[in-house]
Amino acid sequence: MPASDFSRRRFLGAASAAGLGAAALTACGGSDSGSGKDSSGRTIVEWWNIQTTEPSKTIWPERAKAFEAKNPDVRIKLVTLENDAYKSKMTALTSSGKLPDIYHTWGGGVLKQQIDAGLVEDLTGPMESMADTLVPASVKAYQFDGKTYAMPFDIGAVGFWYNKALFKKAGIGAPPTTWAEYLDAVKKLKAAGIAPIALAGKEKWPGMYYWAYLSMRIAGVDGLQKAADEKDFTGDAFVKAGERLKELVALEPFQKGFLGAAYSTPNGEAAAMGNGKAAMELMGQWAPTVQADAGKGIGKDLGFFSFPAVDGGAGALTDVFGGGGGYAVRKGAPQAAADFLKFFMTAESDRILVEKANMIPVVKDAASALTDPNLTAVSDMLAKSTGFQLYLDQAYPPAVGQEVNDSVAALIAGSKSPDQVARSVTQVFKSQ
Amino acid sequence: MTSTYVKDARPAVDQEPAAGPANRRPRARRVKDWLTAVSFTLPALLLFGALVLAPILYALYVSLFNWGGFGSPEDYTGLDNYTRLIDDPVFLGDLWRGLLLVLFSIVVQLPFALAMAVALNQKLRGRAVYRMLFFAPYVLSEVITGVLFSMIFAPDDGLADRFLGSIGLDGLGGLWFADQDTVLPTLFLVMTWKYFGFHMMLYLAGLQNIPHELYEAARIDGASAWHRFRYITLPLLGPTVRISAFLSVIGAIQLFDLVWVISQGGPDHASETMAITLFQFGFKRYQIGYASAISIALFLISLVFALAYQRFVLRRDTEGALTNMRANR
Amino acid sequence: MTAPEAVGRRRFGKVPVYVIVWLVGIVMVTPLLYALISGFKSTDQLSSNPFGLPSPWVTSNYTDILASSSFWRMLGSSTLVAIGTTLLTVGAAALAAFSLARFAYRGRELLFTLFTVGLMFPFAVAILPLFILLRTFGLLDNPWGVILPQAAFGLPITIVILRGFFRAIPGELEEAATLDGCSPFGFFWRILLPMARPALGTVSVLAVVSSWNNFLLPLLVFTQETWWTIPVGVQQFQGQYAADIARVFAYLVLAMVPALAFYAVAERQLIGGITMGATKG
Repeated sequence: MPASDFSRRRFLGAASAAGLGAAALTACGGSDSGSGKDSSGRTIVEWWNIQTTEPSKTIWPERAKAFEAKNPDVRIKLVTLENDAYKSKMTALTSSGKLPDIYHTWGGGVLKQQIDAGLVEDLTGPMESMADTLVPASVKAYQFDGKTYAMPFDIGAVGFWYNKALFKKAGIGAPPTTWAEYLDAVKKLKAAGIAPIALAGKEKWPGMYYWAYLSMRIAGVDGLQKAADEKDFTGDAFVKAGERLKELVALEPFQKGFLGAAYSTPNGEAAAMGNGKAAMELMGQWAPTVQADAGKGIGKDLGFFSFPAVDGGAGALTDVFGGGGGYAVRKGAPQAAADFLKFFMTAESDRILVEKANMIPVVKDAASALTDPNLTAVSDMLAKSTGFQLYLDQAYPPAVGQEVNDSVAALIAGSKSPDQVARSVTQVFKSQ
Repeated sequence: MTSTYVKDARPAVDQEPAAGPANRRPRARRVKDWLTAVSFTLPALLLFGALVLAPILYALYVSLFNWGGFGSPEDYTGLDNYTRLIDDPVFLGDLWRGLLLVLFSIVVQLPFALAMAVALNQKLRGRAVYRMLFFAPYVLSEVITGVLFSMIFAPDDGLADRFLGSIGLDGLGGLWFADQDTVLPTLFLVMTWKYFGFHMMLYLAGLQNIPHELYEAARIDGASAWHRFRYITLPLLGPTVRISAFLSVIGAIQLFDLVWVISQGGPDHASETMAITLFQFGFKRYQIGYASAISIALFLISLVFALAYQRFVLRRDTEGALTNMRANR
Repeated sequence: MTAPEAVGRRRFGKVPVYVIVWLVGIVMVTPLLYALISGFKSTDQLSSNPFGLPSPWVTSNYTDILASSSFWRMLGSSTLVAIGTTLLTVGAAALAAFSLARFAYRGRELLFTLFTVGLMFPFAVAILPLFILLRTFGLLDNPWGVILPQAAFGLPITIVILRGFFRAIPGELEEAATLDGCSPFGFFWRILLPMARPALGTVSVLAVVSSWNNFLLPLLVFTQETWWTIPVGVQQFQGQYAADIARVFAYLVLAMVPALAFYAVAERQLIGGITMGATKG
């Protein structure tokens, strides 16, 4: 069949051209279908975000409108996707070489991979004028080789959000600061008939937080960094981290049906917290907002404490795990994309985000806008931090990040041993 | 319409079809005729070649590399991806779960569909309505079905648990999709809800082709209902049953949408299928080479099964499409 | 013919059948009915009163969705994609089936086998290279990016069904047409296709249904909301409004209506199609 042979060869040629040509693609970036003009001749800038919950669901379009009012020749088109859907879609887009004009990023290894593929605009130049206005820690996850590739709009950290009323009911005086105290608190809650911990087992990343924090507490931030550099997680510390987590899992601390629970759905982790059905969750700075959106929210009963220290571990109670959010710009996007991001992160604009959308300020001059006690607690923890580690599923290459998530999920579900977790993460890392 | 139709068509399969005069013409003319005949297949061939065959060949090629999806594949690893596949507990689990679904289908779903077909093949009041209702879920998209049932089987708050609670059977309720042990059975309930009507329709079509006289004669001979079923219905429905089992197996092997929407293969891979694993590796981990090896394995498994089934099981019934190759060689 | 008491016994004998069929009917209809009724509740009502009728009936879930342009846009794009896919599949498949059914030539069975192997080829298998291919030709966010692959994957079953049908048409007809001066294409176009109308209806209905329900391909190809089809929209809507269960139910119900309505209209072709597809495939 000459016909199919012909098309096959043509296809293979075309496909490898696509592979080689991530850079070539950008040459015609300006005329890509994603960034055309609308019917009235305005430049369309697509803005992919994950703000599916209130209040940012409303604030984000308002900010776009405000920019359009000042720049009548630009139209900002919002594409809002739910976190998990966003991640799968971005993977597909990245391998296709076509990213949105502006898109959400957590920085780290995922962003690095996109940069290496030549898909991301270097924002060092455009951001130069405002570099000093930003909180340095907020930009770090997006900097590689001295260049900045994304505009931060949020920073934060992961810690335990807990229900003070339920802790009181279980007779727990002060939030635990060591792992032993923590396990004790879990037992007390359990004895009082309260589900100690809410966990979104279906989504895997919330479970990863436990293993990551335990690894940090035992190996220390430096130990974790060293493991990543050497692509070797078989060290004693990481097996021990798994063992500690296994101790916790053995207490059956999670809400009913946690293995099938998503994060922000009505039966999910956030709702369990927000409706007072579970006493705590290990989550980032957005937790209070989502609790109130997916559930009712527990208002003043909500408190925050750092992940407890592990006896004999190299890490300190003040080492922080987490990350923020930023917006990267695809290579070849219209100039208006960077302009918009600069507009979005003026002190004035950031104040609006802090006051109305519960973000933690990244512009220094917006710091005074932070009044919410919960977010202040997170912000304080960050300010006093002695070490910082980005989310593992973002810090490492995607295959490794997913393997960490998967393996830890398997540990929590009881099908992998601590040792197996360490080995499978190492194995995938080495293959990268 | 079905099996008689096939029977009528059978002689035509074994001989080359009617186009007689072509063979008696001179060579130049025959080449021209060949071109005419083939040219009709060109649009289909182009589409099929470019969008079905080329991708599978490309997947085959990529499966020999360790490739993250950027640049062109360079790190040639031979059959490494395949040897890794054979050791991968998740992939082996996919096979095992596929087998379980197939067994479930054959032991539960198909007999149930057959029973319903026999029931609705009698003169029943409102039979058309039942038939329509039983088949209706088949036309709904997997996504809609999945979302609907993930809400119905939500622990505690879903309809299923509420209902069991209200009749005092809350002990039976539980975690449904949220537990490794119950996710597959629950998924199977949903699959039965969605697909049994399809098989029932096949059986009904088959039943309608069984001549009434046979039953009349058997009745006059005093055969019981069970005997009539056992010795008339079942044997004559054989071809249909075998085909429906075949489709059900292929469906189970290739299951994706429904599982993706309901559980994404979780908890802890307990409901993962080959297609889900493939998607996870391809679109979440950028391990395109490995994902391609999974897709080739999935394809080969389907193909080998189909060929073997046609060769050994369907052989007596119909000269199926794939066996034509043999017949005409 | 049959004695009266036998009739009586047989009537009585059917009672268990009625009961069983009725029970199965309830199980089948409950999820659908539950979704329909839940859509008329507020989410609070739904948790306090899961089984009863809504009080008061809340119509805003439905009316809000019906008033939103995004729902209609999705309906439009699902329709467009389905029509495009169907025309292309049936057009190309009819030509190919004509060749495979009515001509005898070297390589014919090989061609046919090639197409039938495609029956074993689910979307998921080809999705990665397909995605790269579509990207290369700039077909992402373009309805052709879904229509072309769907048509290609729909070819095997359509060709198999149509070939069977075309074969059943007597050869004398073709010879008569040839004597009248009909070219092969003339015979195909003027005689074969009109005769095959029922079969064409059947395969068209099959193509429409599978395009309508396709999820994976549109999910990956259409990044922009402009072209989202109904299944993609449903998944997205559930993600976005997860907390508002009643609204998601309403959305599901409205998303089901077109498929069920189509089924009600085209029931005969659809069922004819699946039985034919199964026995011929």
